[in-house]
Amino acid sequence: MASFGFGLVTASVLAIAAIGFTLQFGVTDVLNLAYGAVMIAAAFIAYVINQLGVSVWIGLVGAVVACSAGSVLLNAGIYAPFQRRGTSPITMVIVSLGMTLIIEFGVQAIAGGTSVSYTMSQGPTVTAGGLILSTVQLVVIGLSVLVMIGTHVLLRYTRLGKAMRATAANKTLARNCGIRTGRVITITWALTGALCGLAGVVFAMDAGSFDATSTDLFLVLILAAVFLGGPGQAYGAMLGAVVIGLATEISAAYITPDYKYVIAFVALLVMLGVRPTGLLGASQ
Amino acid sequence: MNSYYLINLLIYAAVDAMACLGLNQQFGVSGVTNFGFIIFQAAGGYAAAILALPNQSANGGFQSYIGGWNLPFPLPWIGAAVVGGLIALPFTFLVGRRLRGDFAAVGLLVAAVLLNLLATNYRPLLDGDAGLSLIPGPLGGQFSLQSSRYQWAFAAGAIVVCALIYLFVRRITESPYGRSLRAMRDNDVVADSLGKNLLSQRTAMLVTGGAIAGLSGGILVSYISTWSPAAWGYAETVVLFAAVIIGGAGNHLGAILGAVLVPVGFEEVTRYIPTSNNLPPNLIPSLEWVAIGLLIVVFLWVRPQGILPERKRVIKAAGLPPLGPASSGPASFSPASSGLGPAGAMPEGLAPARPMLTSLGTASAVPAGRSAGSATAGSQPAGSGPAEPASLRTPDGLPPHSPQAAARPGPANPGRWPADREIVLAVVGVSREFGGVRAVADVSFSVRRGTMTGLIGPNGAGKSTLLAMLAGTLPVTSGQIFYQGHDVTRLPAYRRARLGLVRTFQLASEFKRLTVMENLLSAVPGNRGDSFRGALAGRRYWRGDEAAAVARAQAMLVRFGLEADANSYAGDLSGGQRRLVEIMRALMTEPRVLLLDEPMAGVHPNLARRIGDELAALCAGGLTVLMVEHELAIMDEFCDPVVAMAEGAVLAEGTMAELRSRSEVVEAYLVG
Repeated sequence: MASFGFGLVTASVLAIAAIGFTLQFGVTDVLNLAYGAVMIAAAFIAYVINQLGVSVWIGLVGAVVACSAGSVLLNAGIYAPFQRRGTSPITMVIVSLGMTLIIEFGVQAIAGGTSVSYTMSQGPTVTAGGLILSTVQLVVIGLSVLVMIGTHVLLRYTRLGKAMRATAANKTLARNCGIRTGRVITITWALTGALCGLAGVVFAMDAGSFDATSTDLFLVLILAAVFLGGPGQAYGAMLGAVVIGLATEISAAYITPDYKYVIAFVALLVMLGVRPTGLLGASQ
Repeated sequence: MNSYYLINLLIYAAVDAMACLGLNQQFGVSGVTNFGFIIFQAAGGYAAAILALPNQSANGGFQSYIGGWNLPFPLPWIGAAVVGGLIALPFTFLVGRRLRGDFAAVGLLVAAVLLNLLATNYRPLLDGDAGLSLIPGPLGGQFSLQSSRYQWAFAAGAIVVCALIYLFVRRITESPYGRSLRAMRDNDVVADSLGKNLLSQRTAMLVTGGAIAGLSGGILVSYISTWSPAAWGYAETVVLFAAVIIGGAGNHLGAILGAVLVPVGFEEVTRYIPTSNNLPPNLIPSLEWVAIGLLIVVFLWVRPQGILPERKRVIKAAGLPPLGPASSGPASFSPASSGLGPAGAMPEGLAPARPMLTSLGTASAVPAGRSAGSATAGSQPAGSGPAEPASLRTPDGLPPHSPQAAARPGPANPGRWPADREIVLAVVGVSREFGGVRAVADVSFSVRRGTMTGLIGPNGAGKSTLLAMLAGTLPVTSGQIFYQGHDVTRLPAYRRARLGLVRTFQLASEFKRLTVMENLLSAVPGNRGDSFRGALAGRRYWRGDEAAAVARAQAMLVRFGLEADANSYAGDLSGGQRRLVEIMRALMTEPRVLLLDEPMAGVHPNLARRIGDELAALCAGGLTVLMVEHELAIMDEFCDPVVAMAEGAVLAEGTMAELRSRSEVVEAYLVG
């Protein structure tokens, strides 16, 4: 049962990250592998603010704002110019891999190679229905639920959300219908950057201690969740996050923690090989 | 500089250069983006290690590993290459036709991350994160491994192996097969539609690159005598990618240059950075990674072609050797042996005028015909003279299609086809849905041999979708497609193309980084050099076929007036010229049925008429054309019958004059 609790927390962190990743890819058409690097940058921004003697929750807000702005800049400065030039998707992935190295090891160069932790209280533990969770874990789960609801409301009921879905479905057509796709894409980078920042900080809280390379493996989980649900599918990412999050933690409890990522890996490869459009994606 | 330092440098340079050559063959030449490349080097390293190591109880038993066969040199190196190649096979399911290249790349990257994690955590197999050590060097029993002479010999051996690999990859790349690989790199969907088996080509490249990577790992391991997961993190692949991109993707010398500049160069430069206690311990390695990331991004922006760009392959058509039977390949696949005699006769020797495959039965003999290519031309079946090789094999009973067809009424007087002309292509109840939208709904019609059938309709009528389904680029949602009486609904595009059912594309689809001549040559079927084995057999094996293909391509270029641009990159041509290249390239496949998607779009009206005339002449010779076109003047002049579509369904069929008189067709065009 404890593993179910862990799984719930992992799934929550994963859902925030995967929703951001999948929206980013769906709307902007950039398979941004630097997402994990931006997450860890967020974790360290919150850490720096935390070290100044401020609550880590203030740090979280700072990291979210910084990553939102940083993602917009990353697109405006790097990805958008490459895309305007007609760079192929595969070259875009290579560019994003280059950016991964720059950001991740840039963080490591500044922060050093050692693991750090936030100064924070886990709060009183809460027991509910056989689950034992700390207040922080409950907050993380709550944040994740809020993000999911927010995503649903955004995509279903707002003009911006509809514009995002239209842009994701067919950018040229959306532009011809009067949607300012350039602006929609910029806003998407800001939103998904914010989600990425949030995911980075809650990931660091959940992990306890972290260093600059901590999100390398977490990126695998994100990719597994995203591809399980179907790349570009926000609801698919939610489903994928829950499945992958629970599956990894429960398998860690019952098999061995060393191999908990193997399930995610197998899920990802099976999806790529059998149904690359994902469980919720359109069939080919 | 002492000699150990130099030896060390040379061996590392040779190993990195090998790896970069393998990666370049995959990425630069074939467009297979293998982000898991390091897996194969790692596998080779481990394979060499456990082949060379004694049983795990030796050396005090402090390591645990499988194997430990204590095999003598060169078996560990050979084993490394074999394992590197074999381990590529499970990954081939990622690189088939269906999966986007960037998704496949992500899959391979993730595989690299997780295999490293597994190797780190699971000790019994390969000693976990501690890794293997005390791995014996080659011939360690006979020589002192520390002696300077031994070390020099090792370096020389590594360089020789590297040079051999260079010759090997160059041999593949500069062959007709290499041209097919480059065509696949430039546009895989189009290569598929021209008869290239993408899965087979990509598998061959994964295995080849994997074997080279494995060998490089084996050599490295037997030099440094240790191998552990820390040595092959996923990011090492990125270093090799940086090397290939900076050196020049697609140019093997560039790959070697990149290997010297990036992996070796970085190692050497950081050697000269003074170590200071004031610096954080991880600073220099971190900044190295940052610098590699910066190099990739900056190079892709400033000089995406690399320092040594892929060089242009200029093919001179002049001074061709006379084409005798001895220089041609298997009869059924060598156009040169039938239509093309001396250069003067070329315009008559164009593809569709020669006998073509008439049935599935014949066409399924394609691989057999190719492998039979190793036999000399003299051993061709006696009965199949060069004039009508395929006509002897028509198991479906259809009249063989031969130049006699030219005697039938020509398209100069359209509308006179007897209605009982054999149906060459039949569409039965074909539908295609995109997420609930029926782009093509229950379409049935048939195309008769030797006609130029038009397909018209407003935008969104489903014409291009239909064409894509006929060619196999898109699967049907339901319905059946019969080609020459056989159900081809489930055949992949490349197999339909090999049967003579070939399409062109609505959007520009030239192979950009192939010259016009190479674009044409890439489509020629049956070239002996257009297979992995044929490529390895060397130029002497395939140069006869190649010369014949060049002659045909040259004739085609002369016929369509593009010979002056034969050696220009197709990507540098004007829009109209590119359409022309595409049509010529499709004709080079010797199609029986040609599916043209707006061939005249963006083409000057005079040229459009000329294309139309040429196609009409080819139809007189037995070719069948199904053409989507918005230019109704073209339809009026050349096409009969014409099929009108709207909203995914067939509205009407008849001559253009008949269609103009039908109100629903006119309405669909004007209103729809």
